[in-house]
Amino acid sequence: MSGDTIPVDSEAVWPADAEDVEEAVVSNWFVREGAAVTQGDAIAEIQIEKVSIDVPAPTTGTLTDIVISEHDEFRRGSVLARITPD
Amino acid sequence: MSDSETAPERELTMSRAIVDAIASEMRANDDVFVMGEDVADYGGIFDSTEGLLEEFGREKIMDVPISETGFIGAAVGAAQVGMRPIAELMFADFFGVGMDQIYNQMAKNTYMSGSGVRVPMVLMTAVGGTYNDAAQHSQTLYGTFAHLPGMKVVVPSTAADAKGLMHAAIRDDDPVVYMFHKRLMGIGWMPAPDGPKTPVSDEDYTIEFGNADIKRRGDDVTVVTLGLHVHRALEAANDLDGEIDTEVIDLRTLVPLDTETVLESVRKTGRLVVVDEDYHSFGVSGEIVARAAEGGLDDLSAVRRVTMPDTPIPYARPLEQEVNPGADDIADAIRGVTE
Repeated sequence: MSGDTIPVDSEAVWPADAEDVEEAVVSNWFVREGAAVTQGDAIAEIQIEKVSIDVPAPTTGTLTDIVISEHDEFRRGSVLARITPD
Repeated sequence: MSDSETAPERELTMSRAIVDAIASEMRANDDVFVMGEDVADYGGIFDSTEGLLEEFGREKIMDVPISETGFIGAAVGAAQVGMRPIAELMFADFFGVGMDQIYNQMAKNTYMSGSGVRVPMVLMTAVGGTYNDAAQHSQTLYGTFAHLPGMKVVVPSTAADAKGLMHAAIRDDDPVVYMFHKRLMGIGWMPAPDGPKTPVSDEDYTIEFGNADIKRRGDDVTVVTLGLHVHRALEAANDLDGEIDTEVIDLRTLVPLDTETVLESVRKTGRLVVVDEDYHSFGVSGEIVARAAEGGLDDLSAVRRVTMPDTPIPYARPLEQEVNPGADDIADAIRGVTE
């Protein structure tokens, strides 16, 4: 493995109408560490206040690290997971 | 990558598995459509139709007025003339106002017409409590629907089962009542327990009705259950590991009912615990015990039922938790039949 990983960035999916909200929670992970993921597929769902947002994989590769666990809260901009690209 | 461990490619919540099956059937067959309260823009209040409007539009994902008799009747009529509707009854508790359409039309028109018409439709409905919605929004009512001939009754407990059962329900030429438990759906504001989120194949597949699933094998006690309580029974069984070896049977469908799987298990263990989130009297738990007695009385040495009491479901959180069977209650019953 090359060692370089791509972060799954919560800032990238933060909706414009939640500009003033600074925290969210991971509702679901749809893949486990070690799974192959395809760019664009929903790999997680986060909830910002009462709105659910799907988090797509930023690249194709292997999900090497889940940083924020299911049902855990996190702050805007936190890295949710890391992917080792193919 | 040659050195990577094979991991499941994706896991889905139960709500997403249901949506996956519906979308796939709609892509394959123009006759399939969805109608119900808040199924379009809102995506179903328990996410059962989330995202479908975007792909299929308003002619196929139809919000309807709050008039259960009207829209369920419309679905029956549409099915009789060749469509395959999925009508969502937002809460099973609201069945009463539409019961003429459900029980006298949907369930019987095939028979009453001498098979002149068929009624291939799915009545999808949300069941269960655990989130303080009080006595009129928290019932399972499994026994009510299963009691009435002419309808198949399906109760998924995991995402993988939910997808296969929904494909089968939509393809069935008979009316199917598809009862999903809200607590299992995996939506953001009502987290599911561990268990219902599972790997789900990208391929279409069906689960044949009338096939219970042995979710856990064991030699000492048979636990028969469905829906949310599959997961509580598994928790109880795992807690008792080393002390009592517990088999957990997930019925998956009530009509048709897989009596043989229950009997095979009871013949092996001799002890039966039935867990049901429905009321204690005149329901599924009594039916299972009756069939076990009819088919395996000589092998049965002990029976227990773990159910909701015969009382309206309380609003107050500690009281609701008290009346709903928990893993501890199930473990106590398992111990009780082994004393």
